[in-house]
Amino acid sequence: MWQFRIPTWIVLYLLGLLVQTALLPQIFPIGYVPNLVLPITVIIALYETPRRGLAAGLIGGLMQDLWAGRLWGINALTFALLGYAIAHLESRIARDNVFVPGLLAGLAQLLVVPFQWVILRVFGFPFAWSEFMHPLPVWLLFSMLVTPAIGGILGFKPRYEASRRYARSAR
Amino acid sequence: MGGFIFRWRRPIIIVLVIMVVSLSLSFTARVHSKVISLSNLIGTVVSPASASLTYLGNKVGAGVGTVGQLFTLQQENVQLKQKLLLYNSMKLELSELSQENNQLRGLLNLRTAASGWQLVGASVIARNPDTWLQTVVINRGTRAGVHPGMAVIVPQGVVGRVVAATPVSSTVMLILDANSGVGAQDVRSQSAGIVNGRDPVSGQLTFQLFSHHPDVLQGDAVVTSSYSQYYPPGLLLGQVSKVTQTAYGLTETATVIPAVNFNQLENVMVVLSHPSGTSLPPIYGGGGR
Repeated sequence: MWQFRIPTWIVLYLLGLLVQTALLPQIFPIGYVPNLVLPITVIIALYETPRRGLAAGLIGGLMQDLWAGRLWGINALTFALLGYAIAHLESRIARDNVFVPGLLAGLAQLLVVPFQWVILRVFGFPFAWSEFMHPLPVWLLFSMLVTPAIGGILGFKPRYEASRRYARSAR
Repeated sequence: MGGFIFRWRRPIIIVLVIMVVSLSLSFTARVHSKVISLSNLIGTVVSPASASLTYLGNKVGAGVGTVGQLFTLQQENVQLKQKLLLYNSMKLELSELSQENNQLRGLLNLRTAASGWQLVGASVIARNPDTWLQTVVINRGTRAGVHPGMAVIVPQGVVGRVVAATPVSSTVMLILDANSGVGAQDVRSQSAGIVNGRDPVSGQLTFQLFSHHPDVLQGDAVVTSSYSQYYPPGLLLGQVSKVTQTAYGLTETATVIPAVNFNQLENVMVVLSHPSGTSLPPIYGGGGR
């Protein structure tokens, strides 16, 4: 049941942010470093209720905002909405471990970048649309590949399945 | 009689054989040249067969030897592959060390050139998780004398300035950041303006010029000006790549390619203090004015 605990989410986001700030910049050029909070939010929200999906996104986004040190709330808002939407969608779609997380993460990436561009413009960061969107293909591919990989490594299960296994092992 | 021969047949045969061999030896010793010719004749007659057999024997021997060697060769191959891998990794390591050595040598030269300046070396340990914010974290803080507002440089030019410091680390806002503004001037024409971070992806800077008709040309070097609040004057910012007019043609804006390669930012220098009125040698952007 560890996957449903908030401290687990915090540890996951912490590890993700560490990799994102210290390791990925060694691989990707400046401006193209992908986000790991998004795939983690998608994976957590896929097995959660909308309210808890929202909470997970809020925690991850807030952690990224605190880490980044400017415009506190932009990532919290973005990922909270994303967590809610993914968890809401989860009950309406067929679930598998590879294609659905990958496609949802790709779709999320497609929506998150323009959404953040609008928010940034409103709050005084007038980045050019074309230049802001330039790394999108890289991020799209990254999130579509990395999200199922993270899901596979963590081995998250739906709540009913996890609790059945938990009940069986308790017996 | 018959009984006697039968009884002594073995010694008789032995004695006869010894006698025949002795006679043959004695005879052939005397006519050995004829014996050699005979032997040669036999050799000539059977030579194709012997040659074929020898050839076959050699081939089979070689084949058997190769099969035997296969195991040795396999081991040798594995060893050679391991050695190759080792040499390749050594080569890679050597090239990395050479690159690092160049960087450190550059920093050392910078430190020597700026002898009156108080500099502290630092390594970049992390970047900002938001791609549109161009800040990095360095491993020197207030304990090393680093405080907000201090300029951060490398031999190639200006990196940025410290915006926050803890006892052990500091956050540096790169000149690429959208919130960064550096008082700058064109080295050739002395046209002054502000260099702003333009966008996070292209990594280019915008040189907003103050004058209505500034004299800025493509290829001009842009350095920090003496009006700059945080940066010592004369530090290289970059090179003008394009000059454009603003929307109503009132002022001109130049696009500047930064002198620093921000993708390979590993070691930097924080300027703790510098004597006023001093500038660096021309190779670092200073002294040319």
